[in-house]
Amino acid sequence: MIATLVLGFALSIRAQQPPAGARGATPAAPPLDTAAVERGRLFFAQVCSFCHGIDARGGAEGGSDLTLSPIVVTDPGGRQLGEFLQVGRPEKKMPAFPLPPAQLSDVAMFLRAAVAAGDRGPAAVVVGDARAGEAFFTGAGRCATCHSITGDLKGIGLKYSTATLQGRLVLPRGTGGYPGRGSEIPPFRSVTVTLPSGERHTGTLLSVSIFSVTLQDAAGARRTFTRDENVPTVEITDPLQAHLDLMTTMADKVMHDLTAYLVTLR
Amino acid sequence: MIRRSLAIVTIVAILTAAGLAQSGTGDSWPTYHGDHSGRHYSSLKQVTVANVKNLSLAWVFRTTGSSQGGRAAPAPAIKAMPLMVNGVLYLSTPNQVFAVDARTGEQIWHYAWPGHGAIGNRGVGMFGNWLYVATPDNNIVSLDARTGKERWSKKMVSVEAVNFSSSAPVVIGNHVIVGIGGDGGGSQSFLESLDPETGASQWKWLTTPGKGEPGIETWPSAEVAARSAGAPWLPPTYDPALNLIYVTTGQPTPTYNGKGREGDNLYTCSVVALNPDTGKMAWYYQFSPHDTHDWDATQVPVLIDGTIDGQPRKLLAQANRNGYYFLLDRTNGKNLLVKQFAASNSYLGIDNGRLIPNPAKEGSPGGTLVFPDSDGAANYPSPSFSPDTGLFYVNATDAASIFYLAKDPTHPTGFGRDSEWHLGLFNSRLMALDYRTGQVRWQQKYPETAGFWSSTHPGVLTTAGGLLFSGDPSGNFIAFDAATGKPLWHARLGGTTISNSPQTFVLDGRQYVVVAAGDSLFGFALQ
Repeated sequence: MIATLVLGFALSIRAQQPPAGARGATPAAPPLDTAAVERGRLFFAQVCSFCHGIDARGGAEGGSDLTLSPIVVTDPGGRQLGEFLQVGRPEKKMPAFPLPPAQLSDVAMFLRAAVAAGDRGPAAVVVGDARAGEAFFTGAGRCATCHSITGDLKGIGLKYSTATLQGRLVLPRGTGGYPGRGSEIPPFRSVTVTLPSGERHTGTLLSVSIFSVTLQDAAGARRTFTRDENVPTVEITDPLQAHLDLMTTMADKVMHDLTAYLVTLR
Repeated sequence: MIRRSLAIVTIVAILTAAGLAQSGTGDSWPTYHGDHSGRHYSSLKQVTVANVKNLSLAWVFRTTGSSQGGRAAPAPAIKAMPLMVNGVLYLSTPNQVFAVDARTGEQIWHYAWPGHGAIGNRGVGMFGNWLYVATPDNNIVSLDARTGKERWSKKMVSVEAVNFSSSAPVVIGNHVIVGIGGDGGGSQSFLESLDPETGASQWKWLTTPGKGEPGIETWPSAEVAARSAGAPWLPPTYDPALNLIYVTTGQPTPTYNGKGREGDNLYTCSVVALNPDTGKMAWYYQFSPHDTHDWDATQVPVLIDGTIDGQPRKLLAQANRNGYYFLLDRTNGKNLLVKQFAASNSYLGIDNGRLIPNPAKEGSPGGTLVFPDSDGAANYPSPSFSPDTGLFYVNATDAASIFYLAKDPTHPTGFGRDSEWHLGLFNSRLMALDYRTGQVRWQQKYPETAGFWSSTHPGVLTTAGGLLFSGDPSGNFIAFDAATGKPLWHARLGGTTISNSPQTFVLDGRQYVVVAAGDSLFGFALQ
């Protein structure tokens, strides 16, 4: 379990790093043009705001806060934004929006205004009691059964934002957006398929439905079995089952206390 | 041709008026819900439990030019319920309308409105030879169904005021009824009735009350109410005998932050009964008082002519995004049942048919763990009620999120800085509920590790052939035995989940079952 947890955290860290090219010298910013800001605002409201919010600070539907985006913040002229919009980020459900130069310039101008207008409140505030969190960690929560503050959780408080830490302590799978459809998100589940003959196949679960199951066995081979009325039998083991069991009844105070404790692990 | 189409519309109206219990959708599919009851039940029975194993692909129609984008579908997806009238399917995606030969899947014409992509489009409405469609920039466009040529367009409200109109117009008598408003816009939404010939306004119903009007006492002020959304973006259902349309409304805004809008916030997250001739409200019922979790009530209000305690009753049933199943008397809006069907932890209880929200489960700067997440236990795709089985069928999911509010926001609007950490989607399933009690009769649980969410929630169709058509999270299109839940037939439609609700009709004596998955529409019939 520890190994799979670490894998999950590592993926999350990678996902949070700014894209290549986002850092470097800041280009000189053109003066703020209110007419362009207004044109950009109208365009943004119509095309972008569903995900990114009317003020570009992130929407409920998982779009990121663009006023915190390195692409936006370090690139007031819109060049990086234009390059980014050529391809989007399909893996995060951000489609490509190739824009003509004039429109791009308007949107960049609007985003610059949005950055300037933003108040920078933290996304999550530590409100819990670290001592109570520690007591839960070592006691009733039985977290120490799998985790160690000198092992897998060493320095965890420095690795994540508070919101990320809190989200992943409840369920260390995913990055807070919508989970991908059908395909597995690490840490992976394991599966055992037992054929009517008694022959068993065990491996990493790749996908499962009521009609089929696909696994990758220890040799790296991909095996798919069709299913009919639960034949062959399929047993799935989730390394995060203890988290799933806990989250269904977890009180907000317990969650806050654990977060308050984990942020102290530096 | 005009006369013939009008005659068909009239026949459908008469059949519907004759009694919901006896009818079902017939040979055609002339309006969003198939008929006005919202039951997604068809009286067709050429395809049955016994022969569905011989169901085969007849054609595929792939849409082109869809400019959909944003949260729900970076890839184009048909979310619309196509109409099928006189052998022609009429379907839409944002800014696009297609006419397709329902026998062959061949495109007849394609209409494009110049505009940008958006969340989705639910479909077109039809009156005689005229079609009506809403555009993301809040126009209603009327087309000639024979040619796809534009007759007129009408700007309903500015893009700046309201975003992303997506509802399908519904034609009741000589009223083209359209819901205008998107989501989280911090503005006023409304339902408007238009003249089918000219587009002239007949009446307009605002989803939130004005100064001095009933319901304004559930808001701090008329100013707050006027910018608080409640978008009616799902086509209404209709009872011709009572002459009432049943309109469901969206969430109030700011969506997550309720501190500036104390009170129940009528008529958001509600069903309202309106007279389609005047727009006057007969009654309302609010599913989620003072919602702070984006649990809009734009799930289908299903009209059931049923029996409770031996008495025939005119009922309205809804499986709500908030995780509860509701049963109302649709003559007066009186609540008869509130029954939980999915994981929920944010209500203190039920008081006289009203859910009591738990203030401690609103989002907070420290984060609040809430079941379900904002996508909800169910969503807009159609559930189904079969009068043959007496069961109400809905695809449901358990999900959780940590809801955050920005610390001390000064002027929260829209979704503001408030946000949500999605923990996952668990235990997606097809549920069969006793419509009277909400008790689970059977359910098909899906083992997929990521389940349904709003854009991947398949709709449900039941038929007099004893079948239930729907889909799973892996993208299989499945026929079940509606009585037992046993899967009888399935086909995987290309790596995307079912993206609308299945429908059925008859042409030349052959029953077709049609469903959308992603950018394509699939027609099936018996081999």
